[in-house]
Order: sequence, then structure tokens, then C-alpha cells
Amino acid sequence: MDQLDLTIRIAGENGEGVLTVGDVLAEALARSGLHIYTFKNLPAEIKGGASMTQVRVQDTPVRSPGDALDILMVWNQENYDIHVGEVKPTGVVIYDPDECDADESLALSQIGVPLQKITKTVIKTMKSKNVLAFGILTACLGIPFDSAKQMVAESRWGRRKEFLESNINALKQAYVYVDENGIDLGLRVAVERKNGHAQLIMTGNDALCMGALAAGCRYYAGYPITPASDVMETLAKAMPRVGGVLMQTEDEIAAITASIGASFTGAKVMTATAGPGLSLMVEALGLATMEEIPLVVVDVQRGGPSTGMPTKTEQSDLNLAIHGAHGEAPRIVIAATNTEDCFYTAVKAFNLAEKYQTPVILLSDQHLSQRAQVMSRPDLSQVEIVERKQPDHNGSVSPEEFDRYEMTDDYVSPMPLPGRHGQHYVATGLEHDEHAHIDYSPEAHIRMTEKRHQKIESAVNEPGFVQRYGAEDAQLGLIGWGSSEGPILEALDRTLAKGYKVAALIFKMLHPLPEKEARAFIESIPVVSVVELNASGQFANYLQGRLAVSLQRFNIITGLPFKAGDIEEYIEGVLQYG
Amino acid sequence: MAEVRTPDTARTTAPDRPGKAGQPGQAGSAKPAAKRTLKDYRSEVKPTWCPGCGDFGVLAALQRALAERNLDPRDVVIVSGIGCSGRLPEFVNAYGLHVVHGRALPAAQGVKAANPELTVIAVGGDGDGFAIGGGHVPHAVRRNQDITYIVMDNQVYGLTKGQPSPSTPTGMQALRRSVSMPKMAPYEGVLEGQLNILAMIIVYGCSFVARTFSSQASEMAKIIGQGLDHPGFAFVHAMSPCPTFYNTYDPWKESFMPLPDEWDTGDRIKAIDMAMEEVGDGVFHSGVFFQDVYRTYTDKLQDVYAKAYGDEQATIDALMDQYA
Repeated sequence: MDQLDLTIRIAGENGEGVLTVGDVLAEALARSGLHIYTFKNLPAEIKGGASMTQVRVQDTPVRSPGDALDILMVWNQENYDIHVGEVKPTGVVIYDPDECDADESLALSQIGVPLQKITKTVIKTMKSKNVLAFGILTACLGIPFDSAKQMVAESRWGRRKEFLESNINALKQAYVYVDENGIDLGLRVAVERKNGHAQLIMTGNDALCMGALAAGCRYYAGYPITPASDVMETLAKAMPRVGGVLMQTEDEIAAITASIGASFTGAKVMTATAGPGLSLMVEALGLATMEEIPLVVVDVQRGGPSTGMPTKTEQSDLNLAIHGAHGEAPRIVIAATNTEDCFYTAVKAFNLAEKYQTPVILLSDQHLSQRAQVMSRPDLSQVEIVERKQPDHNGSVSPEEFDRYEMTDDYVSPMPLPGRHGQHYVATGLEHDEHAHIDYSPEAHIRMTEKRHQKIESAVNEPGFVQRYGAEDAQLGLIGWGSSEGPILEALDRTLAKGYKVAALIFKMLHPLPEKEARAFIESIPVVSVVELNASGQFANYLQGRLAVSLQRFNIITGLPFKAGDIEEYIEGVLQYG
Repeated sequence: MAEVRTPDTARTTAPDRPGKAGQPGQAGSAKPAAKRTLKDYRSEVKPTWCPGCGDFGVLAALQRALAERNLDPRDVVIVSGIGCSGRLPEFVNAYGLHVVHGRALPAAQGVKAANPELTVIAVGGDGDGFAIGGGHVPHAVRRNQDITYIVMDNQVYGLTKGQPSPSTPTGMQALRRSVSMPKMAPYEGVLEGQLNILAMIIVYGCSFVARTFSSQASEMAKIIGQGLDHPGFAFVHAMSPCPTFYNTYDPWKESFMPLPDEWDTGDRIKAIDMAMEEVGDGVFHSGVFFQDVYRTYTDKLQDVYAKAYGDEQATIDALMDQYA
């Protein structure tokens, strides 16, 4: 039997409710034992403008947003015109004939469903238009009415009893319409209500928050910014339930400095932002490096520069994350690849921050942070948590004898905590000696610079941050980082299946750079290309600079995520035509 | 003031504070019985200030206030930004957090939020606090955490050698011994208006506002002590002359006077009037301009916890149930 793989897009005017239809459909399918991957593309404004939501559904984990569309539902002419070109030749367009004219010259199956008219004249509650649209879609997918009814009852549409009846009525009208008009796409998506809580439906930001809390994060400071605000909102609810503190600060500078203050007392801390906020945090990042204070900074990348494209995705903050500082301020930079990985990478970010007493920048991006995916519920008993090195000689060593920045074998020194340890000291952003006293001597600067750098460099040996896939004897190697992993691996599987010799190397740690793995990969494959969502090839440039090698690049800057098909075409192009 | 007044939530009446973000408190567990003196708060580092700097007076006053309260140095965190006065934590035998320019307040708020049992003091100058860091002041006031903020105001940038600050009087060129002010205002003097720091912070809604002069040592120690005792955000305007770049010792000695007898510290409007009028009168009043007790951020967090989890904190597994 063929694998289930459907990509469904719903598009309409922003604020009209199309996003809700997509969310409920995705959740309902995910609760029915299927794997989903959502993709939203919307304007930065609250109301108005074209917006769309897409659900790709498979019976195995989904790795990318999907290429051409199997089903497109549009609510008006503007969205018909924007999206109809992306429908597969075998795909179906469902449109509202009163709101738009279908282009009859297209060789597509196009079905008119008067969503607006049915809502107005039959259902008589305009609010239920999205339930009607949902019902048309579930009916077209071949989902039985009773299952769809349960989906509605369990969704946000069923939350309030007084609306449930009219919503179920709207659903019923959808099935009546599909039935009376003999609409049958030949689809019979098998849904099976799963009991138990083994699978979670989360966005990247949700998973990241849960990972942070599981790692022990109990202080968060942040400032609203798209697309990182969800992190703060999720934690606003969750953090107090575990006795932590969430503080919405007056700006990003306050957010990171307050986080540094909280970490100084021993709390595990995090702040999340997007590019403009990270720009403001740069000075304080250097402070945390200098004072050796653990700190997790999440950067949910969006289209830049400046205000750029707040609701679009890009991997363009890499240079800032690695190099953004005055002076030399090494820090650890890691990237998450998918929703599930957001959970585990958040845990690792805290562990690295605590272990190396350093700021850790965790790179996510708009698409990764806001799409929903299905993941297995983490087994928290298997999640390793690392705690900060602290003095064990409580009270016996006086502050005068104690060296906060003692030179140890691993360059990490025990950190006393206010209220707990008697070895009080002054953490300062000025250059200092082992004793934390200000010292501008060449010797002190050389020693402390080495301490700060060696400590970070040694983190390159942490396992699990770089992974090779594909053919051993590859003719083409793709290098990716962070969220491009999914589409790269899907394209890899497709082209391997066609007989191409390709391999991929995916980086989750970007600084320090896993040089050994990078060099081995690059030197063993004739052509290596770095695949990233930015214009200049930031990771490619960084690799070239560090390894003195020459690399190809594949970049797109549409503000949209990679499709597996984009990369598949690129691989075939390179291997066929060189 | 729209804030609900609940004077009886002082620090002494808020017992255990569960759920703080920091490590479980051991504060106060190892206090020796002997009463500490000013010397116990002197660090091994000798102050780097110019001879005659007003900040020496502030440092001594702070150390005295700490000694009078017999606070364990391990429970005290002094947070500062950049500037001559930002070096103060180095000279005190306690925990110190010396951060970037203008950000002492956010850092201090993070310290206090993560471990409310600590005594948190933020210190800095007029430039650090009211130029580069000015955007943080109203928000520190709004949060009303139990933090004492001492601003050492010398009306000049000292560490960068004599540029005008937000509190430099308008039109000011070079005073006696000032060598650098003409660099920045060589023709007409300072064009910008002088910020009325005290009036501003009272208008923000600060729950404790006081002024004191570094040359009046015991008065300053008393007022800093009152700030430490105040359960909420306490602002101490510590006038502290810079003998090197803007020597105001003589004029300030003449213009400093105590607030009128029977001053009502509970009248915010009168306090604002006084802060506005004294500029025209060419005087500085010392003493507590305004004080009232509001619930602190930490107090309010207890209400949040009561609603968020009641008796027992949620497990992470329970938090994840909403995604199942």
C-alpha cells in the first residue's frame, strides 16, 4: 500500500479564520494516529492580507512542509490567484464560486463549494464558516461523519457547550453538501482515535519551553517580538506552575541583563528573542562571557535585516550569533532541527551553559518555531541534567583565599552563589585575574583570554551535535544546519532511491565548530555544497574560513522554508550537469 | 496613586518565600553571633577614586548601614553599571555584580527575582542611571522589588573626564577646576535642560524617595539604612561631588538643608512640588521626600503561585499533558 502523503492548504483573508481551520485539522489528524507538519504563511499585520495554512499528513514522521499541493481550499479570488499554481496536476482545488472565478483553462480538478452562501442561508451563523470548511475537507478526505464530529467536539469549537450544537450542525451541512453533490476525491484517510498520551502535538516553541523547564529553567525574562513571543506566552502560564519567575522586561537589554543577574544567584535562566532583539543583547552577551555566567539565549530567526520580514523564516543570524561581540567573546552556538529536537536541544543548551559557565545561543527560526509536529512524549527519567560547578568547601575557605576564576584542568571554575556560599566575590566585565580582581596586565589578559576560549573550544567534543547521512561513496555532499535538516534528509532519501550517490552532514553545533567531522566529510566527497536559507552563505563562509576549503552553495531567500523538492532538484541538477 | 496600599506586607511579615527561582535559601544559616562593624564590609581592594571624591562618603555610609543591620556579607549583592561610582562593589566585602553601562537596575532585578532573600543594592552615577540607563528606572519602580538604588549624582561624567550629564545644570560651562566641560560646551554651555531626577522618580510612583549629601556622613548612613529597611524599591539620591571635573563642594554645602520640620512623607504631591520648587530656589533638601509601602513584586508572586499551583508545584509531565 502506498504511503499516505497529502499536502492540504487553506487560504483566505488574514483574520477570517483559515488558520483555525488548519490548526483544528492538524490537531485532529495528529490525535488520530497520523503524523502532521504544518506550515503557515501570513502577513505581519493582525487583520487583512492574504494568509494561508498548510497541513502535510503522513503515517510516518513528516520532515518537510510538502512540495506541490494535493488539496487547495481557497476562500476568495486573491488567494485562488496566489496559490492555484502550486497544485499538483493530480490535485484538487476547492473554491467558493460566489467569491471567485475558477480558471477553466487549467487541467485541474476544481470543485466549487459555496462556503459563504451555505453559512449565510443554511447555518445562519457566520462564525461557523470555518467549521463548514473543516467539514468539507474531512468529508473530502473520506473521514466518516462520526469521527469528524468527535474531532470537532474535542477541538476549540467544542470547548463551549453553547456553540457546540451550531458547530456540529455546520459540520453536518458540510457532509450533506458533499454527499448531495457527489463529491468524492477517492480518499479514505484512516483515522483511529488514539488513547493515551504517548504522542504530543507541539510547535517548536512549545517543545523548546518544555525542554527548558525540564532542564530546570526557573527564571525567564523577555520582551515581545515575533516570532519568539510564543515562548514568553507559553512560559507565562507554565513557569509559575513550577514555582519559577517570568518577567516581561522593558526591552531586550533588560531581559538579558536581568537573566544574567538571576543566573548570578544560581538560577537556570533563559531569554528568547529574534534578530532585532539579539542585536540589542550583543553587549551583554560579552558580559556573560567575561563574567562566566551561564545563560541560554534563544534566537528565533526571521527575515532581516532591520525589521525585515517578521513573520517569514530565514537562517540569517548565524554571523551575529557566532561573532556578534566587541572584543573576543566566545560562546556556544547550537541549532535545533525539528520540533522534537527543540525539546532536547533546549535541555542540552542548559546543560552546556551550566557545564561551561557560558552563554549559549540556541538558534531556531520562524518556521521551526511556529509549525506543529507530532513527537513522542519525552521520557523525563532519561533526560540528563547537568548542574553548575560550585565550591564544595562551604565556609572553610575565606573570600580572600578563594579564586572564583581558578585555572582548572577544564578551564571551568567553581562558582559561589550569593546566599549559599561564603566565598563572595565581585563578578566584573572588566578584565580580571583568578581572584576576580581587576587586572589589565598582559599576563592576566593572556591567561583569562585562554581560559575563556579553551573552555568553549573543548565543548566541541560534546556528542550528538553533528551527524552524517547517506552514501559512503557519495559524489555530492550536502551540508546543512538547524532546521534545514528535514528537507535535506527527505531530498537525500528521494535521490538515493533514484540511484544518486549523495550524502549529508547536519550540524547542530555551530560554535565551537566540529572541524574534524566537517573536514573528513568535505575531503572525502568530490563536490560539497552548503544548503542554507540566507543570501551570502553564512555557514559556507564560516566553514571556508575555518577549514581553508572551497564549497558550493545552495541558498534561497524567499522567506519560506526549503521544500524537499527544491533540494531534490538541486541534487539532480548538480549530479546530471555538474 | 492607583496602587492598592497594603502597608502590612513589609519584609518582616513575609515569612518563607517558596518557589523562588534561585537555589534553596541557606541565607542566614551560618551567621556568627558577633556584631559586625564597618570594617567587616571593607574589601581588600583600595578605592580607585580621586582624593576628595564624594563617593568615599557614600561607600562609608553604605558600609555603616550594612553593619548596623549586621547583614551577612554572603547575603548581600551590590550591583553596579559603569562609571566612577560603578566601581563601588569592588570595595565592599560582599557579593558584587559589575555589569555593562546603564544596566545595573535590570541586573539587580534579576538577582532579587531569583532569590528574594538576598539584600540587593544597585549603585551608579547620574549618567549610568539617567542617561544610558534611564529607560530602566520607571520599570524598576513599577515592579517595586525590594531593592535599594543609590545614585551618586555629581552632575558630570567623571570616568570619561568631564562631559555634561543629564543632571548638569543648563548653561553650565566650566566651573572652578573643571578642565573638560568646555570640550563639550565650549560656546554657550550645556544646551539641554537639567533633568529633575527627584521629581521624575516620584512621578514614576517610587515607594521610597530620599536625598542625602556625601559630606553629611551620619545622615547619609541613616538614609541609606532607611532605604535598606524599606520593603520595596527605595531610591536614594546621594549627592556626591566630583572634585576633579565639576567641584560643587562649596555651593552644595551652602545649598543643602533638611526638609522642613513635620514633613509629611506620605504626601506625594507635596513631595513633587518640593522637588520642583527647590530648583528655582537653588537649594537641595535632604531627608525622605516620600515613603509609602506597597506590595512588592515578590509579594504579588505569592498570589500568582497560589493560583498557579496551590500546594504542590506541577511536574513537567503534567505540563506536557496539554499537548497530548
